[in-house]
Amino acid sequence: MMELRSTLAGRIVLTAVATVILLFLALPIVVILVTSFSNNAFASFPPDTWTLNWYKALFADGSKWPAALSLSALVAAISTVFSLIIGVTAATALVRSELPLRSAVFALVLGPLLIPQIVTALGLFLLFEPAAMLGSPLAIALGHTVLASPIAVLILIATLRGIDERLEDAAASMGAGRLTIARKITFPLAAPGMIAAAIFSFITSFDEFYISQFLSSVDTVTLPVRVYNSLTFDIDPSVTAISAILIAFAILALGLVALVRWLGSGRQESLLSVENTVGVANPAGETV
Amino acid sequence: MAATLTATAPARPRKLLASRKTRVGILYALPVVVYLLVLFVYPIFSTLLLSLKDADGSFTLHWYADALTGVNLSVLFTTLRISAETAVLSLVFGFVLAQAISRLKPLWAGLAMLVVVVPHFVSALVRTYGWIIMLGDKGLVNETLAWAPGAPYSLLYNELGVVIGTTSMMLPYTVLLLYGVMRGVDRRLLAAAASMGAGRVTIFRRIYLPLVSPGLASAGLLSFILSLGYYITPALMGGPNQTMIATLINQQVTKENQWNGAAAQGVILLVLTLAGLLLVKAVSSLGASRKKRSAS
Repeated sequence: MMELRSTLAGRIVLTAVATVILLFLALPIVVILVTSFSNNAFASFPPDTWTLNWYKALFADGSKWPAALSLSALVAAISTVFSLIIGVTAATALVRSELPLRSAVFALVLGPLLIPQIVTALGLFLLFEPAAMLGSPLAIALGHTVLASPIAVLILIATLRGIDERLEDAAASMGAGRLTIARKITFPLAAPGMIAAAIFSFITSFDEFYISQFLSSVDTVTLPVRVYNSLTFDIDPSVTAISAILIAFAILALGLVALVRWLGSGRQESLLSVENTVGVANPAGETV
Repeated sequence: MAATLTATAPARPRKLLASRKTRVGILYALPVVVYLLVLFVYPIFSTLLLSLKDADGSFTLHWYADALTGVNLSVLFTTLRISAETAVLSLVFGFVLAQAISRLKPLWAGLAMLVVVVPHFVSALVRTYGWIIMLGDKGLVNETLAWAPGAPYSLLYNELGVVIGTTSMMLPYTVLLLYGVMRGVDRRLLAAAASMGAGRVTIFRRIYLPLVSPGLASAGLLSFILSLGYYITPALMGGPNQTMIATLINQQVTKENQWNGAAAQGVILLVLTLAGLLLVKAVSSLGASRKKRSAS
């Protein structure tokens, strides 16, 4: 790599190879987006004629997709609530307190992210099967939270570390109570991180496959399991449309996280700098 | 991690405050600890117990004997082989891409990173489906290569298809890890070597490679570990010869009601993963000490 460095030919080769690898990452997604509008979903690429039929078929009478979609949304919503509760408390414990066995707690949090998901799913199956909870949306949500909450914890740890503790100390020195500080200082500063944690928890649950598959029953099938079944057993061309929707959803979620970050980035600086404090005290903006 | 998380030790007069902080910490840590103990640690523990239990409840190792003989053993070897192939390919591609990105101007580097990161957040199932559309006999790849001799190539339902799929799933991990490692290399060391007359090849081999190799090793190991438990891509893009251990676990639970066997295979997967993680840890502490030595 190094010996190629400054020669023009070397640079061209490196750029070309890198472009091919980037295409390797991006093309499967682009192909789905394009195919979902193609008249002949399983034949040639690029498509000859365009259509919206696959999207229409998704919501036609007798379609099995709306039920799967709403089940996945419900499960993801429950899982997001659990993950946020766990995330906020755990991050507070890990960042803002004297916690005995801190590294053991942290290792426990990382565990679900490193252990193969199929093992976690198998364990949850063995837990919920005797309890006759297979197919219960709550059981699936509880299972998803095992994977989603560590992600929330990690995001919120980073968020809390990024908040200048002097702001809280300053508020305390001026006589603000613990609740006031939490409500007026910590929460507004942590809000972008909490929204990011919520979005990532939601996506994690919404896209989760292994646990859903083990915990689902004939009647309760989440969207990813439905997609998988459709790809293995009953080929249904509207699966391209649902895949395209899932892609759009993921991109939208990432965009939202970026937007929230960007909106929140100025907050702490505005609280810390003196000039802006004047602005806060004098909302009309008439500077002295 | 523990060292950086721990705040500076409180002075003696603040001892009261410290004990309050400890109580608050324990209180706040309770939800996550209880949750993961009940829904993560206990289930894995009961998986372990089940794998050691015979039909009548007595202790046995025969589920492990089953899992390590015959077809099951060859599935285990297939799993290791596919994971190794995936790790090597995603390491090589990841290295080249990270190298190229680290030379780009910030704007272009940001855009390239977006192409790396966004697919990672798209469901693996959906990306696998994209590959199936692309790699078919009339897919984009074969259409593009139609002029080549021997086309259409069979790129699907064989090992090539599986490895293409799993590599694209692991690539974001290796690129991000290696990018971080490459940015962390102290350029002055390379400049120092050059100033003493070392050639490019020598610098690359003697300075650069030793500095990034721990990062390379952990990235490769990590993608190996993450591939071990993979199920979606091998099941959808592979043929019968690409059955991986996760597929087998799934089959035994959902089709054959053979939980004990599935549990034993789960434990084997778990042990392989933990061994890999220990190796990652050993490698990264080796890397830390090497970095310290070269900087001094």
